[in-house]
Amino acid sequence: MRSWMKMIKELTIRPKGERKIRNSPSYSFDEDLKKPLSGQTVKEILSKSSDIVFREFFLQGKERIPCMLVVVDGLVDKNLLDEFVLKPLMVELVGHPELAKATLSNVVDITIQSLLPGVEIKKISEMKDAVSSILSGDSVIFFGDSSEAIVIGAKGWANRGVNEPIAESVVKGPHEGFTETLRINTSLLRRKIKHPSLRIISLKLGDMSNTDLVVTYIEKIASPDIVSEVLLRLGKIKMDSVIDVGYIEEMIEDNPYSPFPQIAYTERPDVLAGKLLEGKVGIILDGTPIVLVVPAILTQFLNVNEDYYQRAMTAILSRFVRYVGAFVAIVAPSVYIAVTTFHQEIIPTDLLMSISEGRQGVPFPALLEALTMTVVLEILQEAGLRLPKPIGQTIGIVGALIIGDAAVKAGLVSPLMVIIIGITAVSSYAIPYYDLSLAVRLTRFPLMILAGILGFFGMSVGLYAGLIHLLSLRSFGVPYLSPIAPLRIRALLQDTFVRAPWWALKRRPQLIDVEEPRPNGKG
Amino acid sequence: MGGTFLPIATFVTGAAGRDSWMAVLPGYAVGIPYGLMVLSLLTDYPHENLLQISEKLFSKWIGKMIGFIYIIISGYYGGLMLTVIGVIFEQSMMPLTPRLVFYLGGLMLVFYLVETGIEVFARFSEVAFPMVVITMVLIFGLSVPRIEQGEIFPILSEGLKPLYFGVLKVMPFPMEYILFLAGVLTFLPTGKQELRQLKTGVWRTVFLVGILNMLVVLIQILVFGPVETIRAAFGFLVLGKMVEISRTIAGVESLFMMVWLGSLVIKCCAFFFMTTWGLDTVFSKKGSKWRLALGAVFLGIASKFESGASLTSVATFVEFYLILPFAFVWIPTLWGVSRWKKGAGVQRNA
Repeated sequence: MRSWMKMIKELTIRPKGERKIRNSPSYSFDEDLKKPLSGQTVKEILSKSSDIVFREFFLQGKERIPCMLVVVDGLVDKNLLDEFVLKPLMVELVGHPELAKATLSNVVDITIQSLLPGVEIKKISEMKDAVSSILSGDSVIFFGDSSEAIVIGAKGWANRGVNEPIAESVVKGPHEGFTETLRINTSLLRRKIKHPSLRIISLKLGDMSNTDLVVTYIEKIASPDIVSEVLLRLGKIKMDSVIDVGYIEEMIEDNPYSPFPQIAYTERPDVLAGKLLEGKVGIILDGTPIVLVVPAILTQFLNVNEDYYQRAMTAILSRFVRYVGAFVAIVAPSVYIAVTTFHQEIIPTDLLMSISEGRQGVPFPALLEALTMTVVLEILQEAGLRLPKPIGQTIGIVGALIIGDAAVKAGLVSPLMVIIIGITAVSSYAIPYYDLSLAVRLTRFPLMILAGILGFFGMSVGLYAGLIHLLSLRSFGVPYLSPIAPLRIRALLQDTFVRAPWWALKRRPQLIDVEEPRPNGKG
Repeated sequence: MGGTFLPIATFVTGAAGRDSWMAVLPGYAVGIPYGLMVLSLLTDYPHENLLQISEKLFSKWIGKMIGFIYIIISGYYGGLMLTVIGVIFEQSMMPLTPRLVFYLGGLMLVFYLVETGIEVFARFSEVAFPMVVITMVLIFGLSVPRIEQGEIFPILSEGLKPLYFGVLKVMPFPMEYILFLAGVLTFLPTGKQELRQLKTGVWRTVFLVGILNMLVVLIQILVFGPVETIRAAFGFLVLGKMVEISRTIAGVESLFMMVWLGSLVIKCCAFFFMTTWGLDTVFSKKGSKWRLALGAVFLGIASKFESGASLTSVATFVEFYLILPFAFVWIPTLWGVSRWKKGAGVQRNA
């Protein structure tokens, strides 16, 4: 019994301090990593992997110096290494006056200062740095039994180009998106914010994956408290591997039990730049195009960056449609159930006649009818999502038209129910963030059940409970429903339900501490 | 605000007749000096509620006795508020559903709010209050075609005396707010700027709620006339039921009820909080166990009432004979003693 309780506790309660997940096993070379740096030890550690290349050669200096270049095949640009590292050292510079002075004790400094022309060259003296650099795609040259080595940045692997993200496409605005390569992503960001105050702090996560990660923010705009909180929470993560941002999202969010997303994400450099200029903090992980943005508030998930590229009036209309869509997606089926089951007085007589005519012969109560149809909708959505695009479309057509029509003709559901479910589905597509859309889909079910049991009273209990839950949420200390509650009228009128014209966006959003006033517009 | 707007017209019109709407704002204005007195104690006794201050100023046992009365009043009145939820939902929306279901639904929301804390409660009020105001304005606007101007004339036909009784009937409502303020004092900031904001907040709240309730009374007198206004226990609900635009929008009172639920939950929750603060201060009892016990007490009080009429009479009794005299005497006495002791201290030091 106790072990069961322990297991349930482990599965449901997130530890408060260090978040240790799947400890990596200890290896024989863990001790080797603590040894003094030497090419031979590195060879011992890495030689069992066939993709590691050890290229041994000699430098003809004052004395004959044995050298070894270690790289991972497929992670380096071989042409670059051949042309600008091996060729100069082995052929072109033979007899060079600087090379002629080289001995085992000064060869590292002479090579860096006078012989190799690259930008990314640095000296290392720690074993773990050498191994980590090699495995990250850098090239390392060891010189005899010297305790120093040279790291050359000559990364070059197959990567996806900068394309428009499918999930965040825009009509008006930039069409570039993040890729799976960290440095490309930081460069895309740097191209948007060419200011020295843009901070990019590098970290590594995952004992085995050694995944590179950067925390980025704009100094004096981002709240220092939030930045340090982000770094603190990231520092608490102890995992063996971090493959995607999803791994860290659940580890750092404030309330892990809420269905609502508390961390925003984007695949677009322009969105990230915009958010950083609002005082938020970005977390970019190597190996994924998804970038996390914290803190996040609910209304942010209903606004898109295209709002800022369109004219203010158009943006306001788009936002209005999205907010209405989200509301309809949550309440439409439950309103139908409540009205047809308990509150017929609210329906005008003509409509009531039409509804009851449509429901004649339907064997199920409205609650069961709605629940069944919503489950069918969920199945269709899930099935269409995982299939190749052309088959996915077919599923949609088969589901919506053929099954829906057949169900109505067979008298299993009323025509109005099909319309309601259709409206619900279309409305949920108006929610721009997939995570929020999922949360809305999830909250729909308890509301429908409450409406089926207690009508509008049940619905209001459900809606108020949802509101209290949202009010209790925080994202990195920022209230989730800000600027609605706590009420900040300026933020509300400036850039929440409506988007004021650019010339009126004189101040940055008030939801977090901002030290620097916005001089001209949003940033 | 809470659920005051539902029965206020009945009470005040019963006392002041057709001129009752004029008594509402002065009745609420009484709350301003009381609110300012409570807030002025905040600077001298930061992060302490009025019960703790009473123990310091009046001696431990007198303070405990005051605390005990505070617990009894807030606990019982909170239970009555839960009853209001059940009664109005049963009468207006779903007469066949057992009242216990409404009690449990309301209590669940109250409990959830209490568990999440005073900050979430404040934010919940911040969201619910505009919804209540918008719905009220909607009802005012949609009731305009039913207005009969003659119902308020002649103005002051019976002199000013009825207004005095009207003000007396309104006074318990701001006193409820003052009693809540007395308990919530622990959580209020004590900085100079914040204090200024709080004082402005008291003014604003009293006037805003006073004006809205005045309009509630006025519109009911204009639509129903004074006699019908006194007769209808929850006149504003009846007004909501009568809303009709052409044949398209009618019978929408169930939608209004959704909003009123939020408002009643706020009031019930405020009294729940007050009782828990009282229990904590007087008996040092706090935690989920005690909150659950208090929830059971609320439910017990609510299930005692069979009809809306008995509820109204008991609520009137509590408001007029318990809340009003208690707050009316306690706050100025405490404030006076505090000033006197402070003055004596200054003299001694001099």
